[in-house]
Amino acid sequence: MAEIVIKGRRVAKGRARGEALVSQSPLSFRGGVDEQTGVVVEKGHELEGVSICGKVLVFPVGKGSTVGSFQLLELKTNGKAPKAIINLRADPIVTLGAIVSDIPMVDRLARNPLELIKTGDLVEVDADRGLVKIVSKSH
Amino acid sequence: MKLTREEKKMLDGKCGAAVQKAMEILVALGECYDAKEMIPVGSAHLVPCNPSAAGKGGVLFYKDMAEKGAKFVIPVSTNPACLDSWAWREMGFPEEMYQGQVDLSGVIAKMGGFLCNTCTPYVIGHTPRTKEHVAWGESSAVVYINGVIGGRTNREGTPSALASGITGRTPAYGYHLDQNRYGKLKVRVTADLKGASDYATLGYYAGKIAQDRVPIFTGLPGFVSQQEMICLAAGLASSGSVSHFHAVGLTPEAPTEKAASGTKKIGPSDTFRFGPKEMKKTEESLSKVAPEEVNLVILGCPHLTIGEIRKYAEMLAGRTVKDHVEMWILTQHTIKKYAEDMGIADVIESTGARLVSNTCPSAIPIDYYKQHGLKAFATDSPKMAYLLSGAKKLPCFYGSLDTFLDVVTSHRR
Repeated sequence: MAEIVIKGRRVAKGRARGEALVSQSPLSFRGGVDEQTGVVVEKGHELEGVSICGKVLVFPVGKGSTVGSFQLLELKTNGKAPKAIINLRADPIVTLGAIVSDIPMVDRLARNPLELIKTGDLVEVDADRGLVKIVSKSH
Repeated sequence: MKLTREEKKMLDGKCGAAVQKAMEILVALGECYDAKEMIPVGSAHLVPCNPSAAGKGGVLFYKDMAEKGAKFVIPVSTNPACLDSWAWREMGFPEEMYQGQVDLSGVIAKMGGFLCNTCTPYVIGHTPRTKEHVAWGESSAVVYINGVIGGRTNREGTPSALASGITGRTPAYGYHLDQNRYGKLKVRVTADLKGASDYATLGYYAGKIAQDRVPIFTGLPGFVSQQEMICLAAGLASSGSVSHFHAVGLTPEAPTEKAASGTKKIGPSDTFRFGPKEMKKTEESLSKVAPEEVNLVILGCPHLTIGEIRKYAEMLAGRTVKDHVEMWILTQHTIKKYAEDMGIADVIESTGARLVSNTCPSAIPIDYYKQHGLKAFATDSPKMAYLLSGAKKLPCFYGSLDTFLDVVTSHRR
């Protein structure tokens, strides 16, 4: 398979490569993700019970409390943060969370990442150049 | 986003790591809201400034920025602490909580923050001017600055307010732009408003309808006191996410209704009435228990002006707070000193009530209430009713002090 490169917009600088974890529904870090384990704890969420630790986390947009920015920083300090974040359109809470936690983040991709990227794909995020590369698909 | 040469230098790290991080925050925020440029701000107000509300992550952020060498270039004031830093021991707060507060306050002071620890810093001189751009947190203060003073601020969170303090900039969007400051709905006031808590009730009613829109009030009396305006602003900010309001004939951007609404005419579907019926219904919606059930009374949300403290002192004079009841009257330390110098504090404390300074009951962890057997509270603030009965699940009686004064105090013989 040829690598797929998608152009997007830098939200928070940095580069990372990792396994994708895709959620079709919005995600709240405060109250939605356990800061000690990195596991999604929101009842009924499609990622409930799944760890976001070390993943390239793909979801449409953030939701919930404004203190959510700091939940990302706590996750990062505990070594449980995602490696990178891809959103359809960044909201202020996740944006600020990514910046204060030094997590590379991109949004507004030229093609819909929720359709193109599947959980388990190996993905590279080069936020500095606003690029997402799907290195290999999981089968 | 268009940046000036100096702003580009900040973003590129030529002014140090803290300034760079701060600029990254502001640029990203500006891009979220399609801001075209940065504008200079005259001051910032930080929230939250206590470890219990900031959480571990918030404290980490403050410390991280201080370690990166952050220094404020404009006046930066602080929101309430999680305890009264003078009376914490006699009020039964743990040493550990006090130490946590001292540590965080120290970090903020190191960056150059002014530790006024109040939600009404504009009462003691941290006061934006009309048309001045600022970057403030604390929802009640945001509404007061935009509405009553005619200054300009969005509702800032911790990262953005801190970033503005470090860079002296904010992205130009939202309430910084003229076109977003016009009223979008109208509230005709026909109820007879007696005192600050009635204004708070009005605010709470209107905030629920307005959500994030700008309401215009008509029919208010020709004179409204500062505390009444503060309470109106706080009410608006607690039931909705209102950031700005107009009161025709009273606030700077509303000499007339037309000036307040701009070119857009407000139709009947966006016009609401606040009469005696609406006032009663709003009051009832905030009360879950009878005043007989409460053992904590909270007055002073937002923090009181000296004039309002004297009103409470006059109402309480000659009375004693009942043994099973705690009564907290909240203000900022400067104003408390003022009340002490004037002998007002003595009047209040001789009744058994406590003049509490620089803290907010909503910042006090729920464990404290449980450990002290505080089961239900009465307040004349809809914001406090909302905060404590929501997040802390303490049942509330809401009303002005005269409606429950006889239940919680007795006449001194």
